[in-house]
Amino acid sequence: MTVLLSICVAVIFAVSVYLLTSRDLKSVAMGLFLFSHAAHMGIIAMSGQPLLSLGGETVRKASPILGTSALGLHVDPLPQALILTSIVISFAVTGFLLALLVAQHRRVRSMDVTELREEDRPEMPDDFATAEAA
Amino acid sequence: MGTESWLTLALLAVFAPVATGALTMLLPKGVITPRVLLALAGPVIAVVALLQHGVSTQVASLPLAPTLGLELSFAADQLGMFFALLVSGIGCLIVLYARGYFGRSEADLARFYPMLGLFMTAMMGIVLSDNLLGLFVFWELTSVSSFLLIGWHTNDRTSGKLAMQAFAVTGLGGLVMLAGLIALGVSSNIWSFSGLEAAMAAGTFSIGAPMVMTAFALIFVGAAAKSAQWPLHFWLPGAMAAPTPVSAYLHSATMVKAGVYLLARLFPVLRELDWWMPTLVFFGVMTMVVGGYMAIRSDVLKKIFAYTTVSQLGLFVCAYGLGGIDFLHGSHGGGEHAGSAHGATELAAAAGDPNIIYPITQILNHALYKAPLFILAGAIMHIAGRKALSECKGLIKSHRLLAVLSLLAAYAMAGLPFTLSFPAKEAFLYQIVHGAESHAVLWLVGVGAVFMAMCNVAVFVRMTATFFAKAGAHGHGHADEEHHHHEHERGFWGACIWWPAAALVIWQYIGGFAPGLFERIILPVETGAENYWTHLPSVFEALTHPTAALGLSAAAIALGLGLGLAPMWRRAINDPHNQLFPLSLRGGERLGHSVFATVQRGDVRIYVVTVLTALIAAMGATFWLDRGALLKWPDVPGITDVDYTLAGWLLTALICASALIMPIVKSRVVRVLVLGTCGFSVIGMYLLYQAPDLALTQVMFEIISVVLFMLALRLLPERGAQVRAFPVPRVVFAALVGLCVGWITLHAGAAADKSALDAWAMAQQQGEVQHAQMEHGGAILAAADVEGHEAADSEHHAPFVQVDDTRLGGWMLRNSYMGTTADTHGRGGGGNNVVNVILVDFRGYDTVGEITVLSIAMMGVLALIGACPAPLGLQERGPQRHLRTYMLRTAMKLLLPLSLLFAGYVFFKGHDEPGGGFIAGLIASVGLAAYRMSDGGAALKRLLPIKPGLTAAMGLALALGTGVAPLLIHLFTGEGGPFFTSDNSYVPLIGGGTYHWTSVALFDLGVFIVVVAVSVGMINRFEEELD
Repeated sequence: MTVLLSICVAVIFAVSVYLLTSRDLKSVAMGLFLFSHAAHMGIIAMSGQPLLSLGGETVRKASPILGTSALGLHVDPLPQALILTSIVISFAVTGFLLALLVAQHRRVRSMDVTELREEDRPEMPDDFATAEAA
Repeated sequence: MGTESWLTLALLAVFAPVATGALTMLLPKGVITPRVLLALAGPVIAVVALLQHGVSTQVASLPLAPTLGLELSFAADQLGMFFALLVSGIGCLIVLYARGYFGRSEADLARFYPMLGLFMTAMMGIVLSDNLLGLFVFWELTSVSSFLLIGWHTNDRTSGKLAMQAFAVTGLGGLVMLAGLIALGVSSNIWSFSGLEAAMAAGTFSIGAPMVMTAFALIFVGAAAKSAQWPLHFWLPGAMAAPTPVSAYLHSATMVKAGVYLLARLFPVLRELDWWMPTLVFFGVMTMVVGGYMAIRSDVLKKIFAYTTVSQLGLFVCAYGLGGIDFLHGSHGGGEHAGSAHGATELAAAAGDPNIIYPITQILNHALYKAPLFILAGAIMHIAGRKALSECKGLIKSHRLLAVLSLLAAYAMAGLPFTLSFPAKEAFLYQIVHGAESHAVLWLVGVGAVFMAMCNVAVFVRMTATFFAKAGAHGHGHADEEHHHHEHERGFWGACIWWPAAALVIWQYIGGFAPGLFERIILPVETGAENYWTHLPSVFEALTHPTAALGLSAAAIALGLGLGLAPMWRRAINDPHNQLFPLSLRGGERLGHSVFATVQRGDVRIYVVTVLTALIAAMGATFWLDRGALLKWPDVPGITDVDYTLAGWLLTALICASALIMPIVKSRVVRVLVLGTCGFSVIGMYLLYQAPDLALTQVMFEIISVVLFMLALRLLPERGAQVRAFPVPRVVFAALVGLCVGWITLHAGAAADKSALDAWAMAQQQGEVQHAQMEHGGAILAAADVEGHEAADSEHHAPFVQVDDTRLGGWMLRNSYMGTTADTHGRGGGGNNVVNVILVDFRGYDTVGEITVLSIAMMGVLALIGACPAPLGLQERGPQRHLRTYMLRTAMKLLLPLSLLFAGYVFFKGHDEPGGGFIAGLIASVGLAAYRMSDGGAALKRLLPIKPGLTAAMGLALALGTGVAPLLIHLFTGEGGPFFTSDNSYVPLIGGGTYHWTSVALFDLGVFIVVVAVSVGMINRFEEELD
């Protein structure tokens, strides 16, 4: 299982990095969305496999709901809690990113990363006039 | 008096000023006198509460986050009580003076009192806090509130800059101090002054440890910045941009005294540190000399007085240093001077006795003349319309009362006989002379002290000479353009502009002429007095028993007379230190700009590549340091269970395939659908990994995200940027990063498996015992459903949980239902769904942060789209084809209630079974989003009339309120506990059975509300754009 999960993480991660380095902003947004899936699966891998193999015998771990396992053997709940938090956050971030793209499109009329470069560069600040009070 | 009642009194004393100040904001316009009285009530309540309690070393605390060492704890020992009474007492006078100063200017008073209240509360908090971090919070609160007050004239650029300067210096100083406090706390595990004292007494505190020394050095920087020590003193004269009531308060009782207070507080500890005292003396003397010199090179009255405050602060710091030197180098006590005269012996006792640690009378003395000086400077500015000393010629004729009072206060400032200042200054000089007997280098300090005294005398002489001079060109007062000049009022309220000065300065002379009377009235209040003077020596005693100190005094007076009358050093100059802040600010801005220009190239791809390259580099370094162990294929336990392997392979194939075709697909709709396919396959993975909560959340998340993407993509152009046919570098880089992260995952998973197996093996060693327990647990589980919950509360779920205690998750599993360890105070989260308990209980802080992020993200969406309306003529979408078909609308009539019902079910089940606020929120959102699509925005608005921003705010408030409630309960009943303490119980249901109720359900409800508000708010906003 860990091996399979690692393959998934590797593939999704590679694809999302590929999309993130794209010039097209829509692809960047989708890349970021995929990115979160890879991260979540990476985290859940850290709770260990849902099975324990003990000298040929295989025992299944139960979900982290107390009282559901006669053996009292549960998977690690902490990664799940972290991922749950992360899923909801990535929803908010995705929404924000999409709004940013819409706003960007309306201002610059371009979905090309390279055309954003010279936008909104900060100016060198004014001189801080001496604070001496007469 | 019990701790509980002291806690109440302390909270009253600290928070009454800000509370009444805030209440004045509720008053209607046109109400002046009640406004003043309400503002006055704050400090008066504080004084009464303090006197009610009296001096004691009792500590009362309100735990906020005990595991972090953070609590609000208060103690009013002698030092704290003295400062607290000073702050609140002078605060009362300042409230009244502000009424005289601002006159009937309604808008000013309405703005001023809330800020002043906050400032007072911050100051009271500093001097009464026992907890170090609590002290810091109030410390920075004074920086913030003084920023507001100094930047009072909001349309004046200079005023804003000076406020920023004061805030930067004192605020950054405070941060340095925080570093020191944390270093102290972490290295010695002491988080309170009382703890520090106890450790000192027990001899368990080693002051010489490098970490502790660093900590104190950092704390000194913070205290010095606050107390305007050279070379950071420049902010204080700049702070005179504030309205005069603030200046009077700031200089006499608050803000600058905070640093002095902290030095006094730490003195018993730090005097044992051999570098501490010379440091204090050095900076103190430098400050004295610079302050004194700048005072006589200034012309604006407030500026002159500001610089005399600077020099006086130097004196305080220096006095602490000298006390310590005496302490270090032997017992010089009064005994050595037993033969000398009575008055001198008193002074000797004052200076040499190691028990003398707080020059409290010095501080009181300073407050008693400096507050009047500022009050009168403000009055002269307002009534006579004169700001600078050189404009004040003939003031004695035109404004006799103000002139006489000013001279009385300035006379005290000069430390001349028959004032309280005189013996205070004598004591300081005596300290120097006494110390110089053993350390000749201290004669330099004597020179500095004489110089400063000379400058003070010179200021007095100049003021006298100017006031009595014949009125010149400035004979008549002129309105000051910066200052709103108003018709002077008559009656009591009008007199408020001068009488607070008289009320304070009179004590200078009572102390000077009738020390006995002064002692009787002030000393019981000035509770630290027994540490300073057993009795106040009268002037006659000092004069008839001359010492070397008296000689120095006489020299200073003579020199000061000469300097005051001489024409030299008359021209006002600017303090060169004033350039320090603008220069460093400008340097910082330049540096920041150049760094920004280098690092922020404006291309997201560069950032992505940089960050990921760093990741690969870090991994490479780890592999290298690890000597290759991480390069080997890890030992992953094989799986023989066919169900798992088959499902695993299928899901892997689906996930990888859907991910890999993403870059190839051109159509944006298909792309989003492929994205959804990938996400839905991940759900299967979650199920395999026994994560029902995650699977539920992910289902809803995918649905909403796909909808969101579809909506947003319709607002974006069909064609994206041109992409090169085969971008080899991108593919190679992406593959490399993917491999690295996959490899990390593999190793992490293998490590987790290994530790789980180890834990299992450990359990097997305990064999029989475990087995018996196992059966016991199983039996109870079987019986539980039959019996109901209440009887089995203690045994039901506590059973046997096979956990790996080396992992945090194991601890959480064990304590989720019932707390069994000290950390949980015998109570757990009271829930069987461990994931939900983690979210709402164990890691409740995280969740609060998260829903805050959600709300902010939604506000961002609303603002971004609102700020960029669709430009005319920009064809960004085809004609809108609504989904408002008859069939869908009919179906939604049924589906919406069902989805809401289901959300409610999942919400209430959530603590014990898969579900909870997040999931329920997403389920409800999906239903509402579908309703929005079928019936349109107007229908949604009818259903949810409250704006999403407000709804989210309400949810946040509910969640936070659940966190704060236990604190309040603790305050009033002694039950409850720190932030986010939870409680749970079984509520009987109608018709038998029980419902398991926990207080965190309210918190979860807040989460639910925020999630619904955010997701529905976002989707609705995008749809509105399409309509």
